[in-house]
Amino acid sequence: MKGKVIVITSGKGGVGKTTTTANLGTALAMMNQKVVLIDTDIGLRNLDVVMGLENRIVFDIVDVVNGNCKLKQALIKDKRFEGLYLLPAAQTKDKSAVSPHQMKNLTNELRNSFDFILVDCPAGIEQGFKNAIAGADDAIVVATPEVSSVRDADRIIGLLEAAGLNNPRLIINRLRSKMVKRGDMMDIGDIIEILSIELLGVVPEDETIVISTNKGEPAVIENNSRAGAAYRRIARRIMGENVPIESLDDTGNLVDRFRKMLKLAR
Amino acid sequence: MSAAVKIWEGENVINLEIYDTFAEMKKGLQKEIRQSKVLLPGMKINVYVGDKSLTDKQIREIEDILLDYGLHLKELMTNGPPGKQKRKESFSKVSEEGFIGFPEDMPEYEETALIRRNLRSGQKCFARGNIVILGDVNPGAEVIAGGNIIVMGVLRGMAHAGAFGDENTVIAALRLNPTQLRIANHITRPPDGEVIIVNAPEIARIRAGKVVIEKLKI
Ligand SMILES: Nc1ncnc2c1ncn2[C@@H]1O[C@H](COP(=O)(O)OP(=O)(O)OP(=O)(O)O)[C@@H](O)[C@H]1O
Ligand SMILES: [Mg+2]
Repeated sequence: MKGKVIVITSGKGGVGKTTTTANLGTALAMMNQKVVLIDTDIGLRNLDVVMGLENRIVFDIVDVVNGNCKLKQALIKDKRFEGLYLLPAAQTKDKSAVSPHQMKNLTNELRNSFDFILVDCPAGIEQGFKNAIAGADDAIVVATPEVSSVRDADRIIGLLEAAGLNNPRLIINRLRSKMVKRGDMMDIGDIIEILSIELLGVVPEDETIVISTNKGEPAVIENNSRAGAAYRRIARRIMGENVPIESLDDTGNLVDRFRKMLKLAR
Repeated sequence: MSAAVKIWEGENVINLEIYDTFAEMKKGLQKEIRQSKVLLPGMKINVYVGDKSLTDKQIREIEDILLDYGLHLKELMTNGPPGKQKRKESFSKVSEEGFIGFPEDMPEYEETALIRRNLRSGQKCFARGNIVILGDVNPGAEVIAGGNIIVMGVLRGMAHAGAFGDENTVIAALRLNPTQLRIANHITRPPDGEVIIVNAPEIARIRAGKVVIEKLKI
């Protein structure tokens, strides 16, 4: 088995990296993939909470790189899906407890037993970011439709490119189509025009995310969660299926399309 | 409660005079905006800082915070020494004049740096001579050239031509939509309020001591 390492990053904090990692990982596992999620947000771990696995942690990523335990011992098996595992972050304050070199070795080892290794990156562009991207083959950039988030995403894409991750893909999270229609929120076209990278998917603002996060159950397992459905479609795109981006179409009522045409023609 | 957002003579003013440090000012500004019931996206806001004086970088940070909430900075009001807080002059677009080509007196430089990618936020490029970019220059990116700057894409960030003082240098782009333009020691920014989006190549240069932008015929 030769697994793929995908880092999920954003620059700006709180835009949905952890939510995205948990939901995509679960969705891929639902498609019978072997998946491991790595939380690299050392000192601020919370992927375990979102996955509802907090009470099973014995060892963490720092224990693994320091040789306190075997990699296998630190992997926590998901309670719902076969083939889904979590490697939790440490709660230590020392962010340099892991080096990029160690991360690379770790992800390479995991490639042998998993189809997908999803790395949840901390916010910012410091050491934690450098660690998280060290072993990655691909990157997913998460941004919300706000000027500051898009600005940070642009900065991150530049840094990813400089590190040789040349084709990062974009997930726009927390889109509120009503606000976009009123012209109060950046629309997908505006964002893509600036970032000029491939759009992997659009996740709507959805309170089922908050509810499921609090329950420790990713929204993808809820059948009637809109955000969950969006993440399921993104997972299919990651698997190489051709799934159309629905939100582009659903804002396409006649008035909007007309406005877009005018904008293009001007 | 949002006592600090007041309407003074029909103008929206946010009063940040009570804050001592710039960090507190920024926090205070965000708090005022969030708590205010009168502010709506798209409004132009005056910010009053009393006796304090802010650097250009700090003014830009204030602008960025406002922009996050869809607001625009109209004027930074202060009691400080006049001139010090003077806002950068804004450039004017002279679109009625129609198309011009590259000016005759545009200076030539020996070296030209060719950049074949997009410049993203936080990225900078510098050259002693001209710079030609085959791609976009995004907000937060900076292009600084001793000579002329040509962007074969969208210029959304900051460009500084004639960085050693050559006032005859030009900045041209397929789409000119910069956060700031500098030519020699003239620093300009887009006029506040309505953004005029011209879907055609444009050129910026100094005419009669002012930075003007005209449609460019290529
Ligand atoms: N689509 C959504 N709809 C509603 N709430 C959301 C959505 N996505 C994320 N959230 C909420 O936003 C908050 C931040 O999300 P999350 O923790 O995933 O961000 P993050 O990028 O990992 O943050 P950090 O930078 O701190 O690691 C959470 O409370 C989450 O429930
Ligand atoms: Mg997180």
